[in-house]
Amino acid sequence: MATASVTTAGVGTSEQYNYDIVRKFAIMTLVWGAIGMFVGVYIASELAFPFLNFDSAYITFGRLRPVHTSGVIFGFGGSALFATSYYVVQRTCQARLFGGERLANFTFWGWQTAVALSALGYMFGYTQAREYAEMVWPIDLLILVVWVAYLGIFVGTLMKRKQPHIYVANWFYLAFILATALLHIFNNLQVPVKLFSLESYSLFSGTQDAMTQWWYGHNAVGFFLTAAFLGMMYYFVPKQAGRPVYSYRLSILHFWAIIFLYMWAGAHHLHWTALPDWTGTLAATFSIMLLLPSWGGMINGIMTLSGAWDKLRTDPVIRFLIVALSFYGMSTFEGPMMSLKDVNALSHYTDWTVGHVHSGALGWVAMITFGSMYHMVPRIWNTEMYSLRLINVHFWLATTGVLLYIVAMWISGIMQGLMWRAFDDFGNLQYSFVESVAAAHPFYVMRALGGAFFLTGMIIMCYNMYKTIRQGSTEAHAGLNVATA
Amino acid sequence: MKHDKIERNLGILLIFTMLAISAGGMVEIIPLFFIKETIEKVDGVRPYTPLEQRGRDIYTREGCYLCHSQMIRPFRDEALRYGHYSLAAESKYDHPFQWGSKRTGPDLARVGGKYSNDWHTQHLIAPRSLVPQSVMPNYPWLAKNDLDYSDITLRLKALRVAGVPYSNSQAEYERNVKDFGEDVAKTLHIPDAEKNLVAQAKLGNYDTDPSNITELDALVAYLQVLGTMVDFKKYDDDYFVKFR
Amino acid sequence: MEWLLWFTRFENTKPLSLAIFFIVFCGILFYVFGSKKRGERLESHKNIPLQDDEI
Repeated sequence: MATASVTTAGVGTSEQYNYDIVRKFAIMTLVWGAIGMFVGVYIASELAFPFLNFDSAYITFGRLRPVHTSGVIFGFGGSALFATSYYVVQRTCQARLFGGERLANFTFWGWQTAVALSALGYMFGYTQAREYAEMVWPIDLLILVVWVAYLGIFVGTLMKRKQPHIYVANWFYLAFILATALLHIFNNLQVPVKLFSLESYSLFSGTQDAMTQWWYGHNAVGFFLTAAFLGMMYYFVPKQAGRPVYSYRLSILHFWAIIFLYMWAGAHHLHWTALPDWTGTLAATFSIMLLLPSWGGMINGIMTLSGAWDKLRTDPVIRFLIVALSFYGMSTFEGPMMSLKDVNALSHYTDWTVGHVHSGALGWVAMITFGSMYHMVPRIWNTEMYSLRLINVHFWLATTGVLLYIVAMWISGIMQGLMWRAFDDFGNLQYSFVESVAAAHPFYVMRALGGAFFLTGMIIMCYNMYKTIRQGSTEAHAGLNVATA
Repeated sequence: MKHDKIERNLGILLIFTMLAISAGGMVEIIPLFFIKETIEKVDGVRPYTPLEQRGRDIYTREGCYLCHSQMIRPFRDEALRYGHYSLAAESKYDHPFQWGSKRTGPDLARVGGKYSNDWHTQHLIAPRSLVPQSVMPNYPWLAKNDLDYSDITLRLKALRVAGVPYSNSQAEYERNVKDFGEDVAKTLHIPDAEKNLVAQAKLGNYDTDPSNITELDALVAYLQVLGTMVDFKKYDDDYFVKFR
Repeated sequence: MEWLLWFTRFENTKPLSLAIFFIVFCGILFYVFGSKKRGERLESHKNIPLQDDEI
């Protein structure tokens, strides 16, 4: 490994750090964010107005839904994580990215290809039919290779760090990379129909398959959408606030508790199913315990601002970050509550679950990403944000959108749960299933509207970023001209 | 010396992190592969016939699992609405499982036999012509697309590798006769797969158009078998409780 | 593999897991908050992100 630092030095660029790769991933974060959220709004509208399926196989709800989830989780979230992790690990290690331009660029093109091909594939009906792991097996293999390269780059950079201590944000990123590898491998064990076929059958069946899938599904949330974004939080909140994190020791405790406890909680997605009861009970117990480190982390992030609360009023970027933490606190309270078997009996299979996911995904993941991007993008293009006012507009659109969304889903979810279990005076079911579908209609419209608000904010962000980047490039050229003159 | 120590620290971080993230999965998943009590012993559960399996492929292709569950929970309202709660045994040949996580539409675990083939055909082509408030998309192309069953033997062979007892030799066929009876064993014999598929489609006439075998034929054949394999009259309910 | 069955029984797993987690938790707690000197060293790391602009 000692030779590694020699090979990466002096690769035809004068920058101390490899920001080129960060810029690429940052741009794709915006692109996938806009695409993924647009598809989300579209499928939400399909549920409210089914004619929007237009009798076309390629855009039915069933085929577009994985396009939405993959687009926002792996396209938007994944690109944001690549961008910020490459940025944070270089700056906190004071070392240039390990492996040189080529390896880093391979992770970029490999990841973008995987997300784009899987999204196209879903529209043509190529899917493994496992939620959030719908990619067909050749794409799974591509992702695996990209991921190994990513792990290599990350660990290699940590090894050549000039800073003796590894900053805690990198711990979270590292746990996310390791856990995602583990989950990806075991949840995608497939038997292909033939060598040149995109179709395959999962190796496991029934109960074992369900447990493996929700072990994956829950920890994709726990590590991809939580641990990694906590890494983001531990760097960007202190940076934007201009003060160190509230308690470093609490962040260590937070790290170990959260990565250990999360992995046990997956089976709470399978309460009251054919999965043996003990698994679900164990999972519910750990889900409750998860509340403690989750809130510990939230408090640690928010208290970082203590003594500088006025920034909440003056700095819209800080506002994004702190509201993200608040939503994180809210959904990590809601989650353990929904993992209680009695609550789950009501909430499972309903829109409440969808609302819960989105309070985490829009409120926490997307908001912390927006905040981090508004901090990072002007710095890697060496300029200032084009418009602070547009950030403010984006903030209010996003917040209104999330609130509309989750309130709509709370109402329709609880209503569905109650309608399904309602009996009349004679002990018969009070409602037919389709009556619950009809009753949800106004809330489906409201949800689509909330999504549209959020999407509009995202598009405004894209415009603001485009102007910022343009301005950054022209400034760089101007600077160059002055220097050569 | 100092460099040495730093490297060791990163190694320790890696190892501890791996340990911490592996523990939960190992304790919860591995026992499921060894505990005999995970899956009930019931008569009647059999692998899907070639036509039903192709129907299942279409079910997964169209993403039906995103709006329909196939897992009835042990509650009074679900028993009234859908039937007996689902057993682990009933999905033991499901690769992948299709329990689902959301009921935008109703549960389908026991939809088999509840509606006629005509109803399903009409409902899949235009759901709102039968259920005006439905939000399900129309699936007209299923009735137009001819079913591609050219690779049916390869599909069954892949499932056989994954553990489904389709027979590929005389000895395996004999075993299936013993386990499932002769009538079922015949439908599980891989060399006859294509013949069996065509015969079942012609006989069942699932999409009410006898002239061809469409994707709709296969899908309806699959829907009509869902939840019908176990005869619950044969079992006392207390028998299932100990597997939970 | 029969011994794995032992872990499936709640009367075993509950106290076992409780004991393991409690010990590990106390260990981490002691490591993090146990010594004042170590605490000061750990807290000093929180400035790492703020130093990166100077280099």
